[in-house]
Amino acid sequence: MSDNATSARAGISSPEASLTLRVRFSEWIDRHSRQLFITPAVVMILIFSIFPLVASLIIAFSRIRLRGGGYSVRFVGFDNFSKQIFGSEQFHFLGTFAPISALGWVFGLGVLGLVLFWLFKYATAKFTVLGFLGRVITASMAVGLAFMFAATLLSGKPFGTLGTTLFYVFVGCGIQFLIGLGLAFLCSQPIRGRNFFRVVFFIPMMITPIGVGYAFRMMADTTKGPFSPLWKWVGWGDFTWATDPWAARIFIVVADSWQWIPFIFIVLLAALENVPRDFVEAAQVDGASSREIFFDITWPQIVPVAATVMLIRVIEAFKIVDLPNIMTSGGPGIATESMSLHSLFAWRSLDLGQSSAVAYLLLFVTVVTCVSFFNLIVVGRMRANG
Amino acid sequence: MTVVLNQITKSFGAAKVLHELDLEVHEGEFLVLLGASGSGKSTALRMIAGLESVTGGSISIDGRDVTNELPKNRNVAMVFQSYALYPHKTVGENIGYPLKIARLGKSEIEDQVRDVADQVQLTDYLDRYPRQLSGGQRQRVALARAMVRRPAVFLMDEPLSNLDAKLRGHMRAELKHMQQQLGITTIYVTHDQVEAMTLAHRVALLEMGKLQQLASPKSIYDDPETLFVAQFIGSPPMNVAKGSLDGGVFALGDDRIGTGKSLSSPDAVLGLRAEDCRVVEAGAGKIRAKLYANELIGDHTLVTAETASGMFSIKAEKEFDAPMNAAIGIDFDPEKLYLFDGSSGARMR
Amino acid sequence: MAERTLMERLFEPAQIGHMPVGTKIVVYSLLLFWTAFVLFPIYWVFITSFKSAVDVNSGPVYLPFIDFKPSLHAWKELFVFDWEDTLKAYTNSIIISLFATALSVLIGSMAAYALARIEYAPKFGSILIFVLSMIAAFVGVGVYGVDWRLACAVAVAVFFFLIKALGRFYAARLGNGDILFWMISQRILAPVVVVVPIYMMFQSVGLLDTHLAIILTYAVVNLPIVIWLMYDFFKSIPIELEESAQLDGATRLLTFFDIVLPLSKAGLAATTLLVMILAWNEYLLALFLSTSKAQTMPILVAAMNAGERGILWWNMSVVIVVMIIPVVVMAIILQRFIAKGMLLGAVKG
Repeated sequence: MSDNATSARAGISSPEASLTLRVRFSEWIDRHSRQLFITPAVVMILIFSIFPLVASLIIAFSRIRLRGGGYSVRFVGFDNFSKQIFGSEQFHFLGTFAPISALGWVFGLGVLGLVLFWLFKYATAKFTVLGFLGRVITASMAVGLAFMFAATLLSGKPFGTLGTTLFYVFVGCGIQFLIGLGLAFLCSQPIRGRNFFRVVFFIPMMITPIGVGYAFRMMADTTKGPFSPLWKWVGWGDFTWATDPWAARIFIVVADSWQWIPFIFIVLLAALENVPRDFVEAAQVDGASSREIFFDITWPQIVPVAATVMLIRVIEAFKIVDLPNIMTSGGPGIATESMSLHSLFAWRSLDLGQSSAVAYLLLFVTVVTCVSFFNLIVVGRMRANG
Repeated sequence: MTVVLNQITKSFGAAKVLHELDLEVHEGEFLVLLGASGSGKSTALRMIAGLESVTGGSISIDGRDVTNELPKNRNVAMVFQSYALYPHKTVGENIGYPLKIARLGKSEIEDQVRDVADQVQLTDYLDRYPRQLSGGQRQRVALARAMVRRPAVFLMDEPLSNLDAKLRGHMRAELKHMQQQLGITTIYVTHDQVEAMTLAHRVALLEMGKLQQLASPKSIYDDPETLFVAQFIGSPPMNVAKGSLDGGVFALGDDRIGTGKSLSSPDAVLGLRAEDCRVVEAGAGKIRAKLYANELIGDHTLVTAETASGMFSIKAEKEFDAPMNAAIGIDFDPEKLYLFDGSSGARMR
Repeated sequence: MAERTLMERLFEPAQIGHMPVGTKIVVYSLLLFWTAFVLFPIYWVFITSFKSAVDVNSGPVYLPFIDFKPSLHAWKELFVFDWEDTLKAYTNSIIISLFATALSVLIGSMAAYALARIEYAPKFGSILIFVLSMIAAFVGVGVYGVDWRLACAVAVAVFFFLIKALGRFYAARLGNGDILFWMISQRILAPVVVVVPIYMMFQSVGLLDTHLAIILTYAVVNLPIVIWLMYDFFKSIPIELEESAQLDGATRLLTFFDIVLPLSKAGLAATTLLVMILAWNEYLLALFLSTSKAQTMPILVAAMNAGERGILWWNMSVVIVVMIIPVVVMAIILQRFIAKGMLLGAVKG
């Protein structure tokens, strides 16, 4: 007994002392802590991400019919996909194709040329098989998209949900980045009330997207909205933005920006404030102008953060669904319909196969874009900075 | 309690950082693992603690094989270089943490913490947080936390290197006193030879993952087995000169030095400690040299002289003074010289 | 310097660190413009909640008490007449977002900690076998109508059999980085990709329209964010603290809850807030997974688009205002942590 007491006091759990059930249990837990820590996350992801992913892949390749209480599944191969890309749903997904106009040819061939030049440069400089294959995938998607736009937008026809999604992602994120960076830069200056602005600018991020959607519907109302006197004054009193494709798209981008600029702003502001003061002060002493200081000192320091925050933002932007759903229900026509919304509408009309096919196409475009962005820009930057 | 390392090796991927290390630490001994950074001394200590897996060989503590035992079952306590105090716990909670985990009663923990805190003069600080303490106090908290468990072995990883020079000297003395009082086997890692010399019963000098010499501080200083040991120990480092040895006569430039030993080697190194040299007039003495610099250290003047084979440091009288570039001679007792093989670095006797 | 032009006087600083007047005016007007842009929609929603139907439908009125007489009719309708529905949605939202956040943060930070500190090396081949056997099971269930319990059992059995049989023929392993990437990349999945199977899954186990279903789904959807943010936080904690706790006898679980989590308060606060906001505001998944009992606030907002009567702007505004208040209060309290927490993730992620 005295032996036990000393070893307990010394904090040893020698094999002899660890006979009680509780000790044995905690020993077991400790020995299995490797698995214990990570298993819940892995299991949850397997059940709620991977299983649905595989299941919707199967759905995407089949035709599902609901019958009575149950459903029947028939494997149809690439039917669902080819319907979207070449078939009756082409106008919806890719757009209404027209014979490519001169402008379209110039644009499409221009992109093709640029991409080929880029691939050629890579192949002659530092060729690796994997790197080349990755770039070929990126390049073919870029060319494909370029010709899609060439055959639709640049030839005077509307594009489909893919084009709309890309518009939200690239135009929206671009604007959001520029404004977010600008605001962060202004707020990083030595001015009064920085904390006030910081808190206020952050607020939109906390509002439910559906609320943002309805709020902006009120804002945009040209007859009863707060700006209706202004519309009347400029003579657009009877203009309904919801019937004009581009006005509707732009309004959705405005609402999306209102909601998401805070995220970019807050992260970039933190990054800006993390830039060591000495660097900036040394440059000031050296007589650099504020423009030079920003581009030569500050910008290189925040590039990694900026790249990461934009990667996250782009990932989220591809998923956009609530705003177009609330603000326009995808209209006029399909002008503001994002791919997520497209898939959602297909589901609503109980066409599960089409719904999953569109969702998978969205996943494909997102992955290729994000992986390209990450490998070509983020990793490239990291290498350049050593 | 004894600690025995039997042929332990450690590799990180292809890099081998410890080569078949054999070490036996006696009961109650203060053993110092001395070496430059990257010598593998910290890795060895962390392997004893169980924080690093063992690639090959075995470790036993008190006769029990602990090679694959979890750290907490080895009954060792460690003091880290950064002290590793838990920032969100008070000094008292820090010290009492091992006892709390051992599920001792509250009052018992309090008694023991008070007891140990008394020994390291921290009684007044038990309610403070580590960030409110000075470096020396933090160091004592770390020590107290290790002591409170009465472990079989103390492991210390450069515990004094974050302190300023003055405090370090003070803590060194305290550490030595405490270790003798407690009589707990201690393995202490440092790169500071002064700490090694003053604290250790025995010093194990490591280089590139290999044990160079294991001996008492006195014999590692007086009787180094390799050129590396000779140069590592001592301040200023031992003077060395390359030359050739022919029938016991060492040729250093044009100088011929009788060594009193009948050894021959085309490639040999002569070693000589600074305090064993004397500055004499030019022409006298055994080595010709040119005065390079004088530094008055306090109780002596450190003379740096340029010889045919590199710089020599000489501890001269405090009053010594001579103009720069003056020709001088260096004299010494041939008994005090060390000879090493030029290629292997092994001592030649 | 006396002959500076007006532009120079306005836009060039008189001394370093000072902002010239012209710049100041530009900066403030930009900031104030953005403040107005941010606040106006919120202000509009806020005053709309006090407007009568007539005030809304007969064109814009801007200032309460001046332009129009604020009325509490919408608030009354939701908090008196429809009190039960409102209360149900509010409590549902609170329960779901609290539990989903807690679950997500707990599981996510455990995984992040594991990936930051423990080395995993799953065999690539084993994962491939696992995926293939699972796909086989799905095809069996979905296409050939095999009972799902039977299919799962067979798939698991086949998986273990194949691992035992083929395990020694492949050696390629994945590392922690790969697992981390796999987990974080789940964020790429748009809800529409996964929601249909999730819907069917919950339908088959009879959990549709329950809190549990939404909680689990939200927890997993936000897991990547938790793992991404917390991983860097855990990496930034000095590892000595955990090693020291291990030597003190703490198990990994205790080390995690007693040492690591208290030291990651800032990260936990930021992560919790972010996940809470996302869970609180989520609409699409809730739309799929709830029909009446488990309806959340965003669904209630959409429900104010009441078909033949058009949109009940005033009621909807009340719901939106009520939804904003708790989040804004929390965010203002925690906003210091958010910037810090997100930065750490972003800088190193």
